[in-house]
Amino acid sequence: MSDILKIEPIDNWLKKNNWSFYNHQVETLKLSENGFDVLLVAPTGGGKTLAGFLPSLNDLINNKSEKNKLHTLYISPLKALTIDVHRNLTSPIEDQALDIRVETRTGDTSTYKKNRQKILPPHMLMTTPESLALLLSNKESKDYFKDLKYLIIDEIHVLVNSKRGDLLSLNLSRIHSISPDCKRIGLSATVKNKGTVLKFLTSKNKAKILNVKETSLPKIEILETKTRVPWSGHMASYAIKDIYQKIKKSSLTIVFVNTRAQAELVFNKLWQENDNNLRIAIHHGSLEKEIRRKVENLMSLGKIDCVVATSSLDLGIDWGDVDLVIQIGSPKGISRFLQRIGRSNHKFDEPSNAILVPSNRFEFLECLSAINSIQNKLLDETREKKGSLDVLAQHVLGVACSEPFQVDDLYNQVINAWPYRNLTKTKFLEVVEFVKNGGYSLKHYEQYSKIGLNKDKFYAINNKSVRNRYKLNVGTIVESYMLKVKLGNKTLGQVEEWFIEGLNEGDTFLFGGRVLEYQSISNNNVIVKSTSHTHPKIPSYAGGRLPLSTELSIEVRKLLSKKQFWKNFPNQINEWLKLQSKFSNLPSLNGLLVETFPRLMSGKKRFFFICYTFEGRNANQTLGLLMSKKMQRIGYKPISFVATDYALAIWSINEVKDVNIVLNEDLMLDDLYEWLEETPLLKKNFRDAAIISGLIERSIPGQKKTGKQVLFNSDLIFNVLKKHEPKHLLLEVAREDSYRGLIDLDRLSEFLKRIEKNITHKKLDRISPLAVPLILEINRQTIDKSEMEEYFLEELENEMLSEVGLN
Amino acid sequence: MKVINFNNHKFQISKEGILFWLDKQIAIIADLHLEKGSSFGPSGQFLPPYDSEETLKKILNTIKDHKIKKIILLGDTFHDKNAISRMSEKVTFLLRSLIEKYEVIFILGNHESKFEIGQINFLNEYVIDNIHFIHEALQTSAFQISGHFHPVATVKSNIKKITAKCLLHTNNHIILPSFGQYTGGLNITNPALKPFVNNESKIYMFTKKSIYKFTSKEIEI
Repeated sequence: MSDILKIEPIDNWLKKNNWSFYNHQVETLKLSENGFDVLLVAPTGGGKTLAGFLPSLNDLINNKSEKNKLHTLYISPLKALTIDVHRNLTSPIEDQALDIRVETRTGDTSTYKKNRQKILPPHMLMTTPESLALLLSNKESKDYFKDLKYLIIDEIHVLVNSKRGDLLSLNLSRIHSISPDCKRIGLSATVKNKGTVLKFLTSKNKAKILNVKETSLPKIEILETKTRVPWSGHMASYAIKDIYQKIKKSSLTIVFVNTRAQAELVFNKLWQENDNNLRIAIHHGSLEKEIRRKVENLMSLGKIDCVVATSSLDLGIDWGDVDLVIQIGSPKGISRFLQRIGRSNHKFDEPSNAILVPSNRFEFLECLSAINSIQNKLLDETREKKGSLDVLAQHVLGVACSEPFQVDDLYNQVINAWPYRNLTKTKFLEVVEFVKNGGYSLKHYEQYSKIGLNKDKFYAINNKSVRNRYKLNVGTIVESYMLKVKLGNKTLGQVEEWFIEGLNEGDTFLFGGRVLEYQSISNNNVIVKSTSHTHPKIPSYAGGRLPLSTELSIEVRKLLSKKQFWKNFPNQINEWLKLQSKFSNLPSLNGLLVETFPRLMSGKKRFFFICYTFEGRNANQTLGLLMSKKMQRIGYKPISFVATDYALAIWSINEVKDVNIVLNEDLMLDDLYEWLEETPLLKKNFRDAAIISGLIERSIPGQKKTGKQVLFNSDLIFNVLKKHEPKHLLLEVAREDSYRGLIDLDRLSEFLKRIEKNITHKKLDRISPLAVPLILEINRQTIDKSEMEEYFLEELENEMLSEVGLN
Repeated sequence: MKVINFNNHKFQISKEGILFWLDKQIAIIADLHLEKGSSFGPSGQFLPPYDSEETLKKILNTIKDHKIKKIILLGDTFHDKNAISRMSEKVTFLLRSLIEKYEVIFILGNHESKFEIGQINFLNEYVIDNIHFIHEALQTSAFQISGHFHPVATVKSNIKKITAKCLLHTNNHIILPSFGQYTGGLNITNPALKPFVNNESKIYMFTKKSIYKFTSKEIEI
């Protein structure tokens, strides 16, 4: 094989380790050599990264490219991944004493190193989309990238259809204009819509997808526990003992959870069980960088037995020989679960091992569905998203920072980026106007314009400070304002400001695996002290809770609707469903089951209206709001509602007699547009768009809330803008993001169409077995968290169970 | 409208945040911060330039239903010394019509203190019937109506927290909320406001639709 490859050093290195090339690695090299852009789709552990670098290594080894020129650019969505890949690549390079310099450049890179990279570029640079945008906004960027030969984009499927992807895509198009012959290689996990990913990667016709099939299916099971799967909740505390036993039997386990709060709790509980003194660590996004690095290092050195992690360890990082992955709670989507499973046994031809731990009964069904989907090779589909205009605004300014541009040229460059292919010239010009001076019809800011036409009719930045400010505001991720958590002189990590605002002095919370007592805020630091308390108030971080994917939802409905599947369920679940079918009905595959029943709530008779939609929390939340509005108008007097991934419960003073009117699609969507204008969601998305587009600046630590009054907040601007220029670019962005995101409008309207004339209404005289978890959820969501909570829920649960005859 | 007694005089608060002294045909308003929005222009942040227009229109609309002759502006009427030069024609027109229709008293605020603004005559203090109209409250026993702090308050129910602009009434002090469209707030729990909050304090919170009265016990302090 080596004569085709001609890259002896790599060959030697492989041989030394008793490895050999995989077919797809050779194929990738051949295709690239023949001038193709390649999208390599392969499961994790398939030597994907090496495949991506082979063409570039080959060129560097055989063609002795010029020194001091950037030859290869590697882009990954995660900083940690750039470091990991850097390390993996350094190993053959050092082993074979190759003259190839590989460096990383991310937000964490020191200014010194960045400057050195400017003067003496490495052959291979590993970076993130944001750092790439920054590099491209430099005045010298054209020179820097003009000899670029290879561009590798790792985990590209994560970036498609996101604002980060928009930013990357625009910059790819820009690189194309600087070095048109640069070859691209995209590395992707197994996804459903490969065609879209390829289009995102390249606009060239000479492009191919290399699809590597999995050779062995992963071994996945649901954890068997002595304790019953609880009715509701998300913490899976019931299973901790059994989880601990599994960890004990494996050499390195990753326990994946869905939220940071879960991570803290599970970590804490595992340590309470830790009689064998296993080395258990925690890893999540708000921990201080050094702490995360330390954990990662210990993992790769094999000095750790278990890590409890959130999505911070999701992507293709290879931190050692993980032999077991435990997923707590449902993974919510098939692709995401596959990614996580792929963390174990990073070897291509051996099956990975995973254990699922459902945290409640519905999740049990969901976990089973996820396993079925994986055995049947089903995958999630991501909805396509058109390029966001706030990101485009940021990009336009970035381009102007690097060099003056001509409107037509830039327009052509922009529509060459896949997400922006349908962007009209008019819209583009609107964005340019916005960048210039805010894009208002009232010309108030002419004199302060950020960009202006020079004598050649090119747009250029008007002064250097524009560039400096641009650099502080690059990126598409707008996070809540973060405060540093300080224990003495030690920084433990960061936490959202709103979380701390909800605490009173003396409150305890879990952070970085330990219980801390909140003392005060000073100079943007959260001052805490250690405490002997073992039962903290848990941090409830935002985000991280993805809704159930459409594909998984179909699988769950299938599972429910066919009794022959149930024989493998544990008794408790089986009984639960049987009772439901006797007492009411089971949700069908394509229709909607609606139940109505009266129930006492705080001593008053209320009428409950339950829809088993299985459409995910976001769509259900929206549906709940819209239905409440409708019920209000009809006179049913709705009081409140609760939404989970599976169902929606609304309770009202009057009984809902005609469920069809309440669920009519047309009537409902009319309300949606009106309602959206008043929601906090729209305001939040407006704030994000205002920051991404550069209208308002990111808050920089130390500059905030120093004086007597806070700086302006975006809600105030929002209200004024909505009144004076309701069609302003940023409002448009905010509306679009709202429909796509939390509202999940597409999914909701598909749902409403699907169930039209297919609604089964069961009028019951009391709560049904399937509704029990939902009613318990009401109390979880609305009752103040206090020490009474668990006790209260337990009592309530027993009460309800005897009501339906399950106790 | 909510009524408060202050130094044996009757005052009324409108839901917009204007204090009326109807017996004297006076409207009292604090912290307009005109052209705050455009003040960020030079740094390249182009906020919607419609805040001054909104602020002035809201004043004109609110007071036209009452018999008002005099308006007392409690300082920080202008966000900075160049505010007037940045005003659009429409805003200049609105400001002029306010001054022409009513006798407007401009109290000097800290945002205005170091320079001259147009032809406007700023007063440090204005007194009627032993009530002192000033920008920033002083810790003396004199009866004072002031602004400056932009007070906001937070009430907490089981389910959520609500923070809104408020008017603070304590013994010899009335501290008005800021009226300007783009003005933020300082929570009354802040040490700067502590001297003016005690068990006797009454806190009037403003929402879009109405005014709610609380005592300091019901507020998070």
